[in-house]
Order: sequence, then C-alpha cells, then structure tokens
Amino acid sequence: MNRVMNRSENRGLWLLLGLLAMFSLGLFLMPAFVIRPFRHQSERALQLAIAVKRIAPALTVAAFLGVLTLSARLWRRSSSVARTGIVMTLVLSVASAVMVRQNYFEWMFHPIAAAGFVSAGDAHLGDKEMVMAVRIGRETRAYPIVQMAYHHILNDTVAEEPIAVTY
Amino acid sequence: MRGRELHFYLAGINNQNFLMRDRETGSWWQQVTGRAISGELAGSALELMPNDELTFALWKSESSSEQRHGLVLAPVAGHEKDYDEEWEKEVAKYPVPLTFPGQGLQDRDVILGVTLGGQARAFPLAKVRGQSPVEDKIAGVPVALVTGPDGESVRVFRSQWNGLDIELYRDAQSEGQSREWRLLDSQGNTWNFAGCATSGPASGQCLAKINFLKDYWFDWKNYNPRTTVYNH
Repeated sequence: MNRVMNRSENRGLWLLLGLLAMFSLGLFLMPAFVIRPFRHQSERALQLAIAVKRIAPALTVAAFLGVLTLSARLWRRSSSVARTGIVMTLVLSVASAVMVRQNYFEWMFHPIAAAGFVSAGDAHLGDKEMVMAVRIGRETRAYPIVQMAYHHILNDTVAEEPIAVTY
Repeated sequence: MRGRELHFYLAGINNQNFLMRDRETGSWWQQVTGRAISGELAGSALELMPNDELTFALWKSESSSEQRHGLVLAPVAGHEKDYDEEWEKEVAKYPVPLTFPGQGLQDRDVILGVTLGGQARAFPLAKVRGQSPVEDKIAGVPVALVTGPDGESVRVFRSQWNGLDIELYRDAQSEGQSREWRLLDSQGNTWNFAGCATSGPASGQCLAKINFLKDYWFDWKNYNPRTTVYNH
C-alpha cells in the first residue's frame, strides 16, 4: 500500500518537475518567437509577448526554486538515469532564468557604448556620404547614415538637450 | 519625457521596425512613431526633433556658413569594417513582414512621408528627385518638396510667405552650378536650400520647414493606414 502511494506521489512530482522546466523555457521562447525579425507581429501577439517578457524574470526564478525543491525530494530515490533527468531540468530552468535577463537584440546590433565626435574638418567622410543632421541652438551634429544603419541607436546631448538618434 | 531624461536601447523588432526600451522606466517604444506602447509611459510620445538627411558636403557648408559649432559622429573603434556602404542594397533583399499592394508602390520603395492636419501623404523619393520642386497641398497647407544642389538631400517647406501661397520653381540658369543653386517664386524672391530668401521682398526671411519621414512604403502604410500617395 505504502509503495503504491509512493509511486503515484513520485509520478506527480516528476510530472510537476517536467512542467516547471517546460514552463520556464516557454517564458523565454514565447516572446523570442513572437518578436523575431522578418515576421509579422499582430498588435495582440506583440502586447502578449511584452507582457510575458515583463513577468518572466520573476517567474523563471520562482520556477527554478520549484525545480530545486522537487529535485531535492526526488534525488535520493532516483536511479542514475532519473538523476540525469533531474540535472537536465535544473540546467533548463537556470538557462531560462539567465536568458530572460539577456537583451540578445544588443548582441546582434552593437549599440554605441561611448560615442566619439570629431570636427567637420577631421571627419573621414566623402562629400556624397549621407548624414542625419540635427541643429539645436548654435550646435549642429552630423550622424553618418552608414554608421547609424549599423548601430541603429545613439543617446546624445546637443546644446544640453537630450536626444535619441535612431535609424 | 515629463522633465525626466530617458536613455534608450534596442529591445526588439515589430514588423521590421525597432522596439526600444528606456533604462529609466523599462517602457517599450516604437521607433518609427516615438510612442510608448507598453509600460509606465505607455501612451506618451517623444518630441520629434527637426532633422535633415543631407550629404556631408552640404551639411559642412551650411554649418560653416551659419557659423554653428558642428561635430561629426566618429566611427566606433573596432567596427570600422562593419560599416557597409551597400547597406541599402542588402536591406532591399530582406523579406517584408507586410505588403500593401494597390497604391502603385512596391513594398520597399522609398517614400517621403508627410503628415499635416491629420492627413498623411507619401511622396515617392524617385518622383521628388525627378520633379523637384514638387508642390502639393496637404490638409489645405501648401507644401514644396525640394531636392538640394547635390541632387540627393531633400527638404520640405510650407510654401507660404506673408500669408500668401507661393509657387516655387527652379532657376534654369543655376542648373549644374551648385554654388548658385536657388529657387525662384512668383513674387520675385530667390530662395536657397535652407528655405531662406536671398533676394526679393522676402529677403532674409525663411520658409517654415516641415518634418517628414523617409521610410519604406510598407512601413509608412502600416503606421499610416489612411495615407494617400502623391502621383502627379
């Protein structure tokens, strides 16, 4: 009788462990899948993906703690094959918790950490090269488009006015 | 925004247009509209700063003649080789997430989008370059789209002076001589590419500049579903 109880309890714990690991992975994959380049995003899908991204950091930690607790309970009564499974769920939930904290778009698009500027005379630009030009007060800035088309965004201050330059 | 300085970073992509977040509130912003779509600042919009897309030579000569303090963004060390002069041709190969047939434009045709009085109009760049100055009316406002002396830079002006609509046309004599490039109008003024009168009754005064967005047709149409297309 006792053994049967244990077995069904075990099965329940294993199921929960698997679900938590998948849930955790889903919190990372769902927004990553929706907000992917070259694809259409509907308004609703986008809002849902953003909502998931907002709660994912907290939820993946909660899921990891759940996985950790279950792993501890299951570890001693598990065979070495089952223990491999436990380790895998731990790895998955840690990886998810780490990934939802990464801004992988910045890995792809190389933001400008510290912008440098040169005077017009010192710039190595051809006369025909296009620049984005901003004038505020007595100051004017030129942002070469070939650079902005690569970095895409720059936070700058012109005549004490904070601006975001984006292409 | 509301007296608070925000710093933006790229955080995603929506129909091939960037999503940005600000470090201060974590709100999500759409690049093309400058509007926050999610988070604490949802619903607010950034102010669009007047800006130009000019050739470097034109920017240089304008900033020196106006005695402004001009600075050029330097290449970021280590990325010099990543800057691709042919980036437009590369981008043209990418698939588009949306398509809007029926208004005579291809998805990746470059347009100049102007919005006035709630009305949006797309001017195909090729047409503006070929017909400059292009004159039109949007929501009753007379506008002129002008290609500069370099044949590349474009500006949009409100073609109205002293309460009167003016008609701008090219000075045939200044063709090919970029130094004397100028526009004429029906009232005896001459105008330079900065939109300021260099001679005539309006001498010393400038036309109001109108902000526009240089964009791909599919992106413009996506955010301005009721846009019309200039096709004269």
